[in-house]
Amino acid sequence: MNALPRLLLATALATSPALMPAAVAAEDLIIGFTLDADTLDPANHRKRETETVIRNIYDGLLTRDPDMRVVPEIAESMTQVSPTIYDFKIRSGIKFHDGTDMTAEDVKFSLDRVTVEGAMGDGQTSPRQGLMGPVASVEIVDGDTVRITLKEPWPILPAMLPNQQIVSKAFVEANGTAGMATMTNGTGPFKLGEWRKGDAIILQRFDDYYGGAPDIEPVGAACVDRAIFKIIPESASRVAALLAGDVHIINELPTFSIAQVKANAGTDVMTVNGTRSFFLAMNMQGEVFDDLKVRQAAAHAIDKNLIIDRILDGTAARIEGILSPDAFGASELPAVAYDPEKAKALLAEAGYPDGIAITMDTEGAFKDTAEAIASMLTNAGIRTTVAVGESAQLTEKWRTAGKPKSGDMYFSSWGNGSLDPFDIFTPTHKTNDRGNSAGYANPALDTLLDSAAIEMDVDKRAAMYREAELMINADQPYVYLWVPQDIYGVSKKLSGWKPSADSRINLHDACIN
Amino acid sequence: MSLSRLLERLLQLIPVLLGVSAIAFLMMALTPGDPVQIMIGDQSITPEQEAELRRGLGLDRPLLERFFIFLRNALQFDFGTSFYHRRPVSDVIAERLPATIELSLVALIVALVTAIPLGVLAAIRKNSILDRLATVGSLLGVSLPGFWFGILLIMLFAVHLQILPVSGRIGYSSEVPTITGFLLIDTLLHRDLAAFGDALRHILLPAITLGLPMTAILMRVTRASMLEVLRQDYVTFAEAKGLSRRRVLFRHALKNALIPTVSVAAIETGSLLGGNMIVEAVFGWPGLGRLVVESIFLRNYPLVQAAVLLYAVTYVLLNFVADILYTILNPRVKL
Repeated sequence: MNALPRLLLATALATSPALMPAAVAAEDLIIGFTLDADTLDPANHRKRETETVIRNIYDGLLTRDPDMRVVPEIAESMTQVSPTIYDFKIRSGIKFHDGTDMTAEDVKFSLDRVTVEGAMGDGQTSPRQGLMGPVASVEIVDGDTVRITLKEPWPILPAMLPNQQIVSKAFVEANGTAGMATMTNGTGPFKLGEWRKGDAIILQRFDDYYGGAPDIEPVGAACVDRAIFKIIPESASRVAALLAGDVHIINELPTFSIAQVKANAGTDVMTVNGTRSFFLAMNMQGEVFDDLKVRQAAAHAIDKNLIIDRILDGTAARIEGILSPDAFGASELPAVAYDPEKAKALLAEAGYPDGIAITMDTEGAFKDTAEAIASMLTNAGIRTTVAVGESAQLTEKWRTAGKPKSGDMYFSSWGNGSLDPFDIFTPTHKTNDRGNSAGYANPALDTLLDSAAIEMDVDKRAAMYREAELMINADQPYVYLWVPQDIYGVSKKLSGWKPSADSRINLHDACIN
Repeated sequence: MSLSRLLERLLQLIPVLLGVSAIAFLMMALTPGDPVQIMIGDQSITPEQEAELRRGLGLDRPLLERFFIFLRNALQFDFGTSFYHRRPVSDVIAERLPATIELSLVALIVALVTAIPLGVLAAIRKNSILDRLATVGSLLGVSLPGFWFGILLIMLFAVHLQILPVSGRIGYSSEVPTITGFLLIDTLLHRDLAAFGDALRHILLPAITLGLPMTAILMRVTRASMLEVLRQDYVTFAEAKGLSRRRVLFRHALKNALIPTVSVAAIETGSLLGGNMIVEAVFGWPGLGRLVVESIFLRNYPLVQAAVLLYAVTYVLLNFVADILYTILNPRVKL
């Protein structure tokens, strides 16, 4: 019987030096990140987190600077020849990670792989095809110029191109789409070291990097030797990892942890304006919210500033229309004042002197905020019960694309990564469109949105979207609430890195001191 | 147990697995939520492009046809392609499975080595302070939610004391070529003691969190059955013979008292696999549980179906093992 304790003791002693914390190499930059990449193939995924990782390995024709301006990257310049033709002159001297030269042929191949039906092999089309709009063809017009021809004008092509990355034609042909899922050969600042699935993606500096977009300083190879995306899905654990010094950047810092991270000596909080607009959709096909006065009553009942200050800790910008303040075409709009008495009066005018009782659908993650909104609505005579549902189910219930729907009110949001109104205005407000959860139908607005989508004159286009904003501001199919900031926790050892509004974490310029 | 009996038990697996496959398929297909809409999210797409995406995922076919395709392929161990990973589901699951099994086994060991001595001690010192502490402790053990207890351990050992890491399986200075997929074994096979220690440091907190409810249950079972056995005539007889207390306890009583403990442990190992989902999320453990939860929310049908089948097979097999262990430990029981 004494053998076992002795064995255990011996094992403990033998391994005790090994039990000391392993020293983290000083130059490793570690990001505590919410989700693992699904795949490392730039053309074969449909997830923002996957793109965030891939973007450090593969560069695109165009990219965005931290202020969200679209700037050339692999392209040296872009020329719009006509409303449907764009020319991209390709920079020379760019190398893939395997040492081969990148050419216009690779660019054409990469874009074809995304846009041509069945181009992924096995009869499969890239799931990213929809992000490239109505592309008719991609041609090489003279040695180093690639021409994209559209079937119809689509002014947001430059805003959408940063979503596509350039792959090596020879590499894809050698390894196939199956191989591309786990093997990489990009032109980006980092090459793949090791992918420990579900645990970490270890990236190594690519020393022959051409430097990236000249408009984004500094230009050159990446600062750190290794950058590691460490997957920590649970937010409390991500915060703990930052506080413990295990990681240098964490994404999706919860608002309730901001004070803790700021109070800790070695860490700080960084924020950037987000691109996701939050709103309350009111079912205009329903019994009560088909009346403008009831919708206006709901808008007057909510004290947005109070919620932004108290629940969101000041990390959101209020909106009066669907567009975020940073989006193209955003402008100052008439604000709906917080006035519960006026809300009650409007309800009475609409024939509900005793108020109404409604249910508000929301996802679990937004329950606290939804409860706060519900109590404000209740105070103003709109007695609101919050019903928590799962995202996929609520989407099916509310985003019916024109089919009849049940439900009164839906606390929800729509993202606008391109910061172009086309991407958010049309789906949420055009009659019967995918994201029109209010069931709003306004033929005048539909016509305006259709023309604005293809208007090439920038000033005219902005004016059109202002007119559209004024229309929805008056019709109030939604109560437009706020655009939350993206919140990051960072180590004070980190320098050179700034969060960007499209939620990407570009590590090229990040250094560890 | 005779060979024919063994074969019969194995044959019983077939209807069980067919039933589970049907349920797994139908539950996913009938749950509201459209995988294509979830995948597109807020991004713009034309109806034609959406239809093409649906066709690519094979979701344009009628439900019944999809079910038969699923069954036919599953019989050939082909569980389809993950909607998101764009690779065979079996590959994706195989990458994550060793981490889950390793964590479950270490949790099982943690549970066994703490529960059995504590249970025995509590039984022979019945109603002592130690017994009461163990009883209260086991009550806490089953009632503390894993996500809360896990975060508590992280705050204490990783953030304040800084002696253990918050998450992951091993640090990034270690590189361990895969042999078995179990890091604790692979590091030893490579004779890399530093990496072994690092892997051990990483697995400690998740294993304790995962093993805690099981420890509590096993302790209660051991205590109860030990008390039961100590009341038996043969124990009294052995004591009357003048055998030492130690010999009576460990030679005579414990062996019989452990029979229920072992069978409960075998069955509970199945629930360890299920409990993994929460513990894996809290500790960023790259196992199967997390992957399955993510896949359920994304309506990644092929992956969830395959995982449910795998869980079912494991559970049935563990029950089977429990039965066999029972007959070995207690020859009076026949299957």
